[in-house]
Amino acid sequence: MSRERALAVARVAVLGVAIVVALFPFWWMLVTSLKQPVDIFRGVSLVPQHPTGDNYSRLFGDYHMGSFLVNSLIVVTVSVAVSLVLGTLAAYALARFRLRFGLNQSALVAALLVRTLPPILLVIPLYLTLTKYGLLNTRLGLIVIYGGLNTSFVIWMMQSFLEEIPKDIEEAAMVDGDSRLRALFRVVLPLAAPGIAATAIFSVITTYNDFLLALTLTSTPAAQTVPVGVSTLIGKIQIEWGPMAAAGVVGALPIMIFAIIVQRHFVRGLTFGAVK
Amino acid sequence: MDVRYERASKSFGSTQALAPLDLTVPDGKFLAMLGPSGCGKTTALRLLAGLEQPTSGRIYIGDRDVTRLEPRHRDVAMVFQSYALYPHKSVAENIAYPLRLRRSAAAERDERVRRVAELLGIGGLLGRMPRELSGGQRQRVALARAIVRRPHAFLMDEPLSNLDAQLRLQMRVEIKRLQRELGVTTLYVTHDQIEAMTMADLIAVMRDGALQQLATPAELYERPANLFVARFCGSPPMNVLDGAVEDGSFRHPTGSIPLPGAEIRGPVKLGFRPEHAEVTDHGAPDSLAGEIYVVEPLGNETLVTVRLEDELLNIRAHAGFDRPVGERCAVRPAEGRVHLFDKDSGEALAKPGERGASSAGHAATAGI
Repeated sequence: MSRERALAVARVAVLGVAIVVALFPFWWMLVTSLKQPVDIFRGVSLVPQHPTGDNYSRLFGDYHMGSFLVNSLIVVTVSVAVSLVLGTLAAYALARFRLRFGLNQSALVAALLVRTLPPILLVIPLYLTLTKYGLLNTRLGLIVIYGGLNTSFVIWMMQSFLEEIPKDIEEAAMVDGDSRLRALFRVVLPLAAPGIAATAIFSVITTYNDFLLALTLTSTPAAQTVPVGVSTLIGKIQIEWGPMAAAGVVGALPIMIFAIIVQRHFVRGLTFGAVK
Repeated sequence: MDVRYERASKSFGSTQALAPLDLTVPDGKFLAMLGPSGCGKTTALRLLAGLEQPTSGRIYIGDRDVTRLEPRHRDVAMVFQSYALYPHKSVAENIAYPLRLRRSAAAERDERVRRVAELLGIGGLLGRMPRELSGGQRQRVALARAIVRRPHAFLMDEPLSNLDAQLRLQMRVEIKRLQRELGVTTLYVTHDQIEAMTMADLIAVMRDGALQQLATPAELYERPANLFVARFCGSPPMNVLDGAVEDGSFRHPTGSIPLPGAEIRGPVKLGFRPEHAEVTDHGAPDSLAGEIYVVEPLGNETLVTVRLEDELLNIRAHAGFDRPVGERCAVRPAEGRVHLFDKDSGEALAKPGERGASSAGHAATAGI
């Protein structure tokens, strides 16, 4: 065997091990979700002995997984959409205009500050605020909170992406007859698509994953999101391993689908040959 | 339509990019703004495009005051140094973009895009994306996008500076021909004096945000308003010597040159162009003594550098020039082809033999 071939085999072997290690927990979860309760406790086995869909039907039937999913999807979609629009517009202004008194820098620092505060610090004031406006245990309450937190993140990400896009291109569009806003939407944002995709993915994942805020600010399946909902499967007396594994599988699906949809934007270059 | 700057100025913070500028480009003329980088020429262009707001003054296109208008309402077309094509749109979509925004009918639009593309020789590229084009092709697409509608004015910001030398020469000719054909008022920003001289009807020479001289290329060459203009236009640049005028002659440590009719006296700077002097034998009358320093044969002519005491002069000589390096020689400027400048301000003084810049009769007798 030649040296090159040995290297190639070694490379594949290392990658293979990495993939197995990375995917094993997911496989374990999938297998557990298809097992009968007795089999779960019988010992280690990599395939379900008596496959069953019971866990899934109990998850949706007894444990309101449907509501949790709907809540999560609505809260994540709306809050990320709102913060993408607001944050991108703000980022564009910061990237293109030099404000007086060094306000650009102060605005960025202020936005960063929001993000750097540990959520545990925010939880109690937010709880009191939402109570005051009757938004406790509502989707709208969560949307407002997540929207605000995400916007600061979007501003930072998009500001650096937008600065990379040559000013000439939107100026050309403006001379060609666009208003600034139209040039932004028709020329600048299509070029910033990879950046928007990256920002969106990150925002979606952090929002979807959030546990602390959602746990504090919601209390019934009317507004509880997936992570909080799953935690209710841990009861005082017993832990429902089967439905919990099923919830893990179902909960991971939306993020995987979303990642598959937007990943092609990562591959594309940022400005792909606009200027020489 | 004509384009007019009225005391238009621009400051960025405390730095003044453009001093109050008064400038008119007559309808259909090609005006080149010429100057080194940072001289305010691009700022002036951006003010006209509406991409910057003037700090003071007004700007007119035709009779319309456009000072506060957004770029899209000014109806000008601009070609950027970077071409600024829309990378996510095909060549055809790029060219059609200005039309699309003006809601012209689809059939007419396609027809015009096709015609303009033919005119610029990019008819076969309409389906391509900008990233698939060479620099020269991108340049043509940018031009096509500018001429596809009939704007009130073309603004061009160093459109040729990213092209290689040969392509630049070719595009220079094409842009000039296009401009004449379309008859659209054009402002062309460049730092390349050859581009300005060859293409423009009028040249505005800028320096440090201020207009130095506005003149036709011939006038600029014959009568530079000051030392800066004199040195900036012409390659190799004009030779300039410090000396003094006494008794109708220019005195220099290396010799003296008669200035028939010179009315001034005292210290001055004397300038003459490399093509307006000859290298002759050491000791010849009315010449400056020196020695051959470098000889550069170019084929059609020879560039000779002559060293006077501690200054170097550039002289254009004929192709067969054969004096060896180091030989003692002399430089004799052609009569009537020398320029005098104020020693301190650098402003041009009346040419020897002329009473004022306007006395053309005298100039003729002085051999101009």
